[in-house]
Amino acid sequence: MNLPSIGQIPSDVVAAWIFTIIVGIVLLVWLTKLKKWPVVFEYMRTTHHRKIGTMYILFAIIFFFRAGMDAMLIRTQLAVPKNDFWVFQGDKYNEVFTTHGTIMIFFVAMPLLIGLMNVAVPLQIGANDLAFPYLNAISFWFFLAGGLIFNMSFFMNSAPNAGWTAYAPLSTDTYTPGPNINYYILGLQVSGLGTIFTAINMIVTVIRLRAPGLKLSKMPLFPWSTLVTSSLILVAFPVLTIALVLLMFDRFYGTSFFTGEIGSPVYWQHLFWIFGHPEVYILILPAFGVFSDVISNFSRKKVYGYTSMVIALALIGLLGFMVWAHHMFTVGMGPLANSVFAITTMLIAIPTGVKVFNWLFTMRGGVIRMKTPMLFALGFIPTFVMGGVTGVMLAVAAADYQYHDSYFVVAHFHYTMVGGTILGAFAGIYYWYPKMTGKVLDDKLGRWHFWLFLIGFHLTFLPQHFAGLNGMPRRVYTYTWADNVFIFNAISTVGAYLMGISMLFVIWNLYKTHRYGKKADGDPWDGRTLDWSVASPAPEHPFNPMPKVKRMDEFWYRKVNNKGLEYADDPRPSPISVETYQPIILAGVMIALSIAFIYLWVWLQVILGAGVLSFLVIRSLTDERRQAYREEERS
Amino acid sequence: MNQSVSRELFGDKRLGFYIYLGVEAVMFATLFATYIIFTPPSKGVTPTEAFDLRSVIMASVFLLPSSATLLIAEKGLKDGSRVKVWIGLITTFVLGAVFLGLEVHEFYKYAVHEGYTISMNNFMASFYTLVGLHASHVAFGLCWMVLLMLQLKRNLPSALFNEKQKIFNYYWHFVDFIWVMIIIFVYSPYVF
Amino acid sequence: MKKLLPLLTLILLSGCSLRTLNPVSNSAEKITDLIYLSFAIMMLVLAVVFILFALFIRKYKERPETSDKIPKEKKENKLLEVTWTVIPIILIAILAVPTVKATYDITSTISGPDDGVSKEAVVVKVKAEQFRWEFTYENGKQTMDELVLPKDQKVTLRLSSNDVIHSFWVPRLAGKMDVRPNKENRLSFVPQVTGTFQGKCAEFCGAGHANMRFETKVVTQEKFEDWLASE
Repeated sequence: MNLPSIGQIPSDVVAAWIFTIIVGIVLLVWLTKLKKWPVVFEYMRTTHHRKIGTMYILFAIIFFFRAGMDAMLIRTQLAVPKNDFWVFQGDKYNEVFTTHGTIMIFFVAMPLLIGLMNVAVPLQIGANDLAFPYLNAISFWFFLAGGLIFNMSFFMNSAPNAGWTAYAPLSTDTYTPGPNINYYILGLQVSGLGTIFTAINMIVTVIRLRAPGLKLSKMPLFPWSTLVTSSLILVAFPVLTIALVLLMFDRFYGTSFFTGEIGSPVYWQHLFWIFGHPEVYILILPAFGVFSDVISNFSRKKVYGYTSMVIALALIGLLGFMVWAHHMFTVGMGPLANSVFAITTMLIAIPTGVKVFNWLFTMRGGVIRMKTPMLFALGFIPTFVMGGVTGVMLAVAAADYQYHDSYFVVAHFHYTMVGGTILGAFAGIYYWYPKMTGKVLDDKLGRWHFWLFLIGFHLTFLPQHFAGLNGMPRRVYTYTWADNVFIFNAISTVGAYLMGISMLFVIWNLYKTHRYGKKADGDPWDGRTLDWSVASPAPEHPFNPMPKVKRMDEFWYRKVNNKGLEYADDPRPSPISVETYQPIILAGVMIALSIAFIYLWVWLQVILGAGVLSFLVIRSLTDERRQAYREEERS
Repeated sequence: MNQSVSRELFGDKRLGFYIYLGVEAVMFATLFATYIIFTPPSKGVTPTEAFDLRSVIMASVFLLPSSATLLIAEKGLKDGSRVKVWIGLITTFVLGAVFLGLEVHEFYKYAVHEGYTISMNNFMASFYTLVGLHASHVAFGLCWMVLLMLQLKRNLPSALFNEKQKIFNYYWHFVDFIWVMIIIFVYSPYVF
Repeated sequence: MKKLLPLLTLILLSGCSLRTLNPVSNSAEKITDLIYLSFAIMMLVLAVVFILFALFIRKYKERPETSDKIPKEKKENKLLEVTWTVIPIILIAILAVPTVKATYDITSTISGPDDGVSKEAVVVKVKAEQFRWEFTYENGKQTMDELVLPKDQKVTLRLSSNDVIHSFWVPRLAGKMDVRPNKENRLSFVPQVTGTFQGKCAEFCGAGHANMRFETKVVTQEKFEDWLASE
């Protein structure tokens, strides 16, 4: 069973190469055989929000399987004490948990949510597309480019190995020479750029492109959460960009911001968490939005306490910027700073609690229909509350001296991130799948997926609380019998495999739905919001004519009273969509440029940098508005 | 004549660009924070030794008025006078280019003549990253102006050229504003 | 479910002996009390949510006779909304006061070179580096990966690192304290029970992080003096 390395290269990398090449060939043959290439090319040059959203979700799921493999390897290595599984000890194990964390956060959770926003937000607010369709394509291809850069590292046998937090000075070139961390920096930088562009796009769309009469105070909660999330991105991501630039200077150009006698390692932690803490709210708020809409829809009731829901969203977003140092209680900031950050952190529990009770009371008095999206929403409530209460326990600064960096923390953030974000993304995918593809995913297989995933999840992460309390630090590749954490880890590993198996039901479901599923109509869930008033899958110009909105859930109340929607006479002009290969080619150049940086090939950096800039010129000269404005001038 | 297409679409673009400038502002703010945290340094050259008042004033003399000369171009747009647009763009370009030359000279003087390299201490390191990022914004702005002049020679719909010119104006004013911040936070505590 | 029962008992049994919940020093004891307090308050919240959740699902689940029903919309109940805003605020206030107190009690406020170390305390310099611990006592005695401490006497550790950030953790004796390069952190506590306790590096520090462990032996004061004087 033990095949440490083949020549210079570890056998897991060889296995990954072989596996990827085989899958690649199969995919090429399959696409050719089914004559699907025109569809591929269509998606490569599209700027349409639904298609881009679908691609976001598709690649996020692929990355989910990739990082899920990491999780399986981690759990296998930790299944029994003193284990020696395959090659995953020491630095190899460090690489695995680093890529697991980074991919799950940046290339799974983010794109899943952004993908759902892309699909649903314009449809929910009556916009024909996002405000900047071209920029949206750029965002998507930058995300994918970032993901590819980051994943390339593993195939070059130099995966990042300093944790997803990349704490300095471990992440500086003194302690981690080689290209590993460079992949991390460039991968996050490129995809981060895409995320910033998306946030701008979403804010302008929500603020300026709503249907006539749809005031902000009548907007569904998913677009609301999109608005708040995007604002958080605008403040958090630029800080990450600069932090990564500074780290890059430390690694490439001989500065010592975070290392050495004159540098400050703790400054990295501050910058990272000023980004990192808002980031976790960036990940959870859209999920809250999905749950609000799903719970209201499947209880056949309008959402309870709408105003307090919106206020709570905004408050969570605001407080999210004042709590970053609770990740640093043990760093030695002194009791005053620790106490202040402890209290601000506890305060977040209040708006979150308001939301939980509002969800519960939305269900009260309704008719709760147990469809797959609703199951995920129902699974979310108790799971997330468990993650929430351990969050408050962690906020107790003095007690955090014990929890900090132990498996207790690992359990906590998986309860919030998987129990919140991932369940939310699954709910959203099952819910809006008809709007993306025109088919409803199979309910029975969806149930299998849900129950196996949820049971597997609790089996995996509940015992980890106890492992942490018994003194198991995170990010260790082994433990001893004397540590007395075997039983917790063994259960955890069983649970992880159960979660892995549950994901196979997703593949089966996709296959079955597309092979045998019937075409869905526009409103398969008996919906309330505008997205259900258009056909499935959503057409390119869905709101033509443009509906007029007078109150919340207009579509639902008109449906109940057997009336059709009213239409506006003179709606504002829609954004201009184009078909162009520019974004994907630009992303390709970005990948090449990043590689030039990772391996410090200066001349290539200059040439490719000029290449990237020349795209701006091309873009300016081929502006699609020229045609539209010319027509306007003539009329 | 119905102007709603260009008006609404420009409104979208303007809001988007304002937000983008907000993003840039956060990036600069982070670099300002870095500079303030690491300055004055515990070893190596101090800002009082490194900076000289003359070069700061020289650079400012060229960059700050360029925001004013750009107003000529803006006025030209309003009046529909292409000549004014040309005058405004060209003077702004010249002023910006001279500023950039002075910046490059200042960096060259520090790094090569005086030997204050980027790895000397974190004061120099954060100075080079912050002021360097600003200088690269000026350089980017110069290229952008060349492109604008090119667009002005092409026969674009007037609404489209106005849009492009206005977006550039916001950018250039922002870059000027950052320079004022640099004078206040980077230079002034140490040169006066 | 019957098969799960022995397993559950096993977990509960090992739960009772969890290291952080069996403190053997004054400061670890304070932390344990806080853990129990916050756990109790949080279980209360959890219970309320779980009960409402189960209740509502049972009562309002779709049934054949309600499958076509369109429920009536009711106005929000202001009193309820105020209740679930105010009660959490009260609970958090109850938790915040002891939190701040304990944080001040067990966090060292001093990190200067020599000041503030009381004369009675045993002072040990702790140097961490990839991937080992070096302990230096006041008389110059040095040990590697083994820390010996006297019972019932205040101990002050002066922690610093030679390379990357590490974290000093003996779960039964004290909470973590990060060990940083170029900066000294302090950690003080009074061990109350003799015995051997495991210590670990709790901040990820590179390839050998998992094996960067040490043993802490708490012995009686006489034994400690003897040990300190011996070669």
